[in-house]
Amino acid sequence: MRGATQTKWIVAATAIALAATACSTSSKSDDKAASGGGSIAVQLGEPQHGLVPQNTAESEGAEVLNALFAGLVEYDNKTNEPKLRVAESIESPDSKVWTIKLKDGYTFHNGEKVTAQSFVDAWNWGANQENAAEGLPFFAKIDGSADLAPGKDKKPTADKLKGLQVVDDKTFTVTLTNPFSQFKTMLGYNAFYPLPKAFFQDQKSFEDAPIGNGPFQMDGKWEHNKQIKVKRFDNFPAADGKAKLQGVTFKIYDNLDTAYNDLRADNIQATDKLPISAMGTVKGEFGDRYIYKPESGVGYIGFPISTNPAAYGKPEIRKAISMAIDRESITKTIFSGTRVPADDFINPLIPGYRKGAMGDAAKYDPAKAKQLFDTAGGVPNNTIELGYNADGGHKEWIEAVANQLKKNLGVEVTTKPFEKFGKILDALGEKQYSGAFRMAWSMDYPSIENYERPIFSKVAIENGSNYGGYVNEQFETLLDQADQAKSPEEGLKLYQQADDVLIQDLPYIPVYTYMSSAAYSKKIKNFDTDAQGRMNLDEVELAG
Amino acid sequence: MGRYVIRRLIQAIPVLIGATLLIYALVHYLPGDPVQALAGEKRADPVVADMIREKYHLNDPFLVQYWNYITGVFQGDLGESLTGRSVSEMIGDAFPYTVNLALVAFVIEAVVGVAAGVMAALRKGKFLDQLVLISTLLVISIPVFVTGFVLQLVLGVKLKNDYGIEIFSVSFNEEDGLRAYLLPAFVLASMSLAYVARLTRTSLMETMRADYVRTAVAKGLKRRRVIGRHALRNALIPIVTFLGADLGGLMGGAVITERIFNIHGIGGLLAQSVYQKQGTIIVGVVTLLVLIYLITTLLVDLLYAVLDPRIRYE
Amino acid sequence: MSDTITKGPEAPSDDNGAKGAAKAQKPERVASLWSDALRDLRRNPVFIIGAVLVFCLLVISAVPQLFTDGSPFEGGACDLANSLQRPSAEHWFGFDVQGCDIYTRTVWGARNSVTVGVLTTLTVTVVGSLLGLLAGWKGGIVDSILSRFTEIFFSIPLLLGGMLIMSMLGTGNAYTVSLVMAVLGWPQIFRIMRASVLANKNNDYVMAARALGAGSGRITFRHILPNAIAPVIVVAAISLGVYIGAEAALSYLGIGVQPPQISWGLMISDAQPRFLNAPHVLLFPAAVLSVTVLAFIMLGDAVRDALDPKLR
Repeated sequence: MRGATQTKWIVAATAIALAATACSTSSKSDDKAASGGGSIAVQLGEPQHGLVPQNTAESEGAEVLNALFAGLVEYDNKTNEPKLRVAESIESPDSKVWTIKLKDGYTFHNGEKVTAQSFVDAWNWGANQENAAEGLPFFAKIDGSADLAPGKDKKPTADKLKGLQVVDDKTFTVTLTNPFSQFKTMLGYNAFYPLPKAFFQDQKSFEDAPIGNGPFQMDGKWEHNKQIKVKRFDNFPAADGKAKLQGVTFKIYDNLDTAYNDLRADNIQATDKLPISAMGTVKGEFGDRYIYKPESGVGYIGFPISTNPAAYGKPEIRKAISMAIDRESITKTIFSGTRVPADDFINPLIPGYRKGAMGDAAKYDPAKAKQLFDTAGGVPNNTIELGYNADGGHKEWIEAVANQLKKNLGVEVTTKPFEKFGKILDALGEKQYSGAFRMAWSMDYPSIENYERPIFSKVAIENGSNYGGYVNEQFETLLDQADQAKSPEEGLKLYQQADDVLIQDLPYIPVYTYMSSAAYSKKIKNFDTDAQGRMNLDEVELAG
Repeated sequence: MGRYVIRRLIQAIPVLIGATLLIYALVHYLPGDPVQALAGEKRADPVVADMIREKYHLNDPFLVQYWNYITGVFQGDLGESLTGRSVSEMIGDAFPYTVNLALVAFVIEAVVGVAAGVMAALRKGKFLDQLVLISTLLVISIPVFVTGFVLQLVLGVKLKNDYGIEIFSVSFNEEDGLRAYLLPAFVLASMSLAYVARLTRTSLMETMRADYVRTAVAKGLKRRRVIGRHALRNALIPIVTFLGADLGGLMGGAVITERIFNIHGIGGLLAQSVYQKQGTIIVGVVTLLVLIYLITTLLVDLLYAVLDPRIRYE
Repeated sequence: MSDTITKGPEAPSDDNGAKGAAKAQKPERVASLWSDALRDLRRNPVFIIGAVLVFCLLVISAVPQLFTDGSPFEGGACDLANSLQRPSAEHWFGFDVQGCDIYTRTVWGARNSVTVGVLTTLTVTVVGSLLGLLAGWKGGIVDSILSRFTEIFFSIPLLLGGMLIMSMLGTGNAYTVSLVMAVLGWPQIFRIMRASVLANKNNDYVMAARALGAGSGRITFRHILPNAIAPVIVVAAISLGVYIGAEAALSYLGIGVQPPQISWGLMISDAQPRFLNAPHVLLFPAAVLSVTVLAFIMLGDAVRDALDPKLR
């Protein structure tokens, strides 16, 4: 084992030296002339927070962090199984105590070595409620997390997770409060990235110019609302694959239509989000430079089960609504095929997905739907309300669903726009709104568990996405059993049983799953996106 | 005149204090939770949310919050956004773009608008007059969003891709200088252009009928001179009023135009902070706007006296 | 050059004096200004065309069912299978993305749009003009207070003001939308009316009327208002269309007329994302809106001409 690591280290060092010379020669020549090198610009939305991995829970910040950091694991682009990246091994005999060994050769962009301590310090920071980091819930499974995050109006009684133990520079152990078979899969999420010492010395400047351990490093500071420039990190281990491009500029857009027009004019070279207006024409314009493949998101219609049981409390009603929705024609007409009908609570990309798992609940059958709806007693006032946030392009499909429900169930349907999704949550919380609502989930890490616990479990009512207040004890038990399973395979089966409970109860109705909609210019090649719709910038090259 | 200006400037103080208090109150009583707005579609973790509220004193009573804010303002500190950025820095970043865009748009609407209006008035019922009318109808009935994107696609993308001509930037690019502002400024100015052209047309036609203009013509003065020196000058008062109010509006940022052309100015900043209920940013921006309106209306009022000597301020 | 600049404005004030005096000598004539205007209007073809168009709009708004076969609110009125179909013999305006007949929706949308346009314009014009008249005529402290007040109103962003007013009112419909836009829209008319009054109040005919013993109210309404109203009418006629369009912006924010209610503004804004693929979805309601605005501009032009004392 040790020998192997050493050889790798030597190979890596040679490769770095070679790359360094290659770089110094090419930097003299024209940017674009270098083979595969050069610089490109890509689309981005303004990230919400300073670029600290533990404080980033939205896609735009994650996109940049993905280029700047390398996690313990990454995910195979086809199977979405976790692959070791910075970790040499991640093992546990009982799913409770995990031993994580690190590879050699990773350094932060400022030269500091990535050690076990870099991870432990980062996680301790993220788990401490005083730091108000968005990634806090991800550390809840680690032993001692309750001491660092005791809750509202209480002070943390410790500043280190007692479940984290550094064994040596390259090894640390993680003890969980309860066994969790999918723990390894979680570790690719950005909250688990390491942090250098520099972060703890000057957090403010880190937020605008983070120092990571990934294939790219910051090139200057984040110019808010304008751009974030990164350049190749030449000391990145060759074994992991150095970036080909010399630099990438994330150009910040408010509007996808604008970004798309800039892509057409080749002012930017790639976007991983396309506007509605492009859906009809992008295939013709970009041909095979339009990437059309499944993405991890699921779109639902949710119900306020706990606050409005009279209308949406009965599973039969929810099933009738589900059957009255013509998923096929909505995804085809409204979304021009950039969404596909959902037939399971689990996204098709995720290991554990079963095709057609929802059975007739996801089949369009207006006659049966109406019959089921009427036998179950319908809804009060014969009216269904559908809430949506007006800022996300949801109006059209919600209107289409409204028209179908009106026609197929013979009910009145009113649609209610809210400015932001948060306003729906506010209104539900304050009981000003008690209708159904749109909702979507995009995974944090590719595990079947990530489609169940954070959305439908009891704890998710408090700090997750269980906005309807759904509770089912059988589901909770199955989740716990699955968590504690000895092997991921055994766990998977139990998670599928939990999925079956959801299909019975339909707390939310899965309507569609997402297709990625990315496109890139003729100037580049090898462009791809992962299951979370992030760009593989380290593999992109200039074409010809 | 000097005393008048000083009096107006003194009046500005209560107006500014009143406005900040009003806006601060409006934002405070607006329903919704700013911390949740930051978290997007996932629910803000209750513990994290509470830490943020504590950090930014969102749990304090309204007057305490306002007092803290206004004392900060007098020390030159506009406060911090909920994501920890300095508000004066955010406004400082955004405002120059808005000012540039507003000035270019203002020049377009003033010059083109008045010129079109004069032509229409002089050739009432003729081609140009009809053109002004039809453009007015188009501008009103087709939203900026559509005209903006069509112009961007045709004059930005197609001209570059098909003919290699790059006069107009597709989206805002600082290196392009004035070029970057042309298309957005035109789109932004289009609606006001319609007002200015029609106001000029009507106002000029009306003054042309006035006896003093007839006298001037009868005296044998050249038509061009009569229009320029006599008629137009008197016709300008309503136009200057409109333009003055509009300049203030333009400085407040144009949410839609800014979004179409990716200009990160005041409009976008304001819209976003209203959505997120970020009081400190909103109050900061609106205070600046009040100031701008105070100055533009003062300038307009002074201009009246220049345009029409019978109007005097004592 | 410089002497012409100083000389220019002097000439008008002399000439105006003559005109003003002439007017003041015939008070009965001025007193019947409004009835004169009415007589003028009835002979003006521009007014007649405008009036007929507006009348048609009002009829369509009042009884849309006379002009279409079905109601757009019935279940099954829209079918995704017809999505974005082009205009045809049976369906003159084609279908929108939801597969709803655009003609039917345009007809049924008239009521909300016309209500919003007319109600807002009326409120804004009346309130703005009266306060503007007051500020311009009285001057001094009254003017200062009213003017500073408008500056604050000017500075309140539509988004913020709209959200706040709507959160107080609760529901969104044509009336609440009109209220929101009127509350935030009147300062514009106020400024224009005030400027117009300032420009007119020093005219010699006003002095003369006052010398003849006319009361303050009489002077304002009989002499100043008719002379000062022209720019207000121009702005109001254009604003009517702008308000109809702006209503869609409020709907987008969730604070305007909401589906299943229909309005032209909503139809236009819904059609935006697919404009390049299916322009007809946007162009038909936009054309109807254009005709509406044209009708009101014609009415405005005619009324203004009829009121203008200089044309007598």
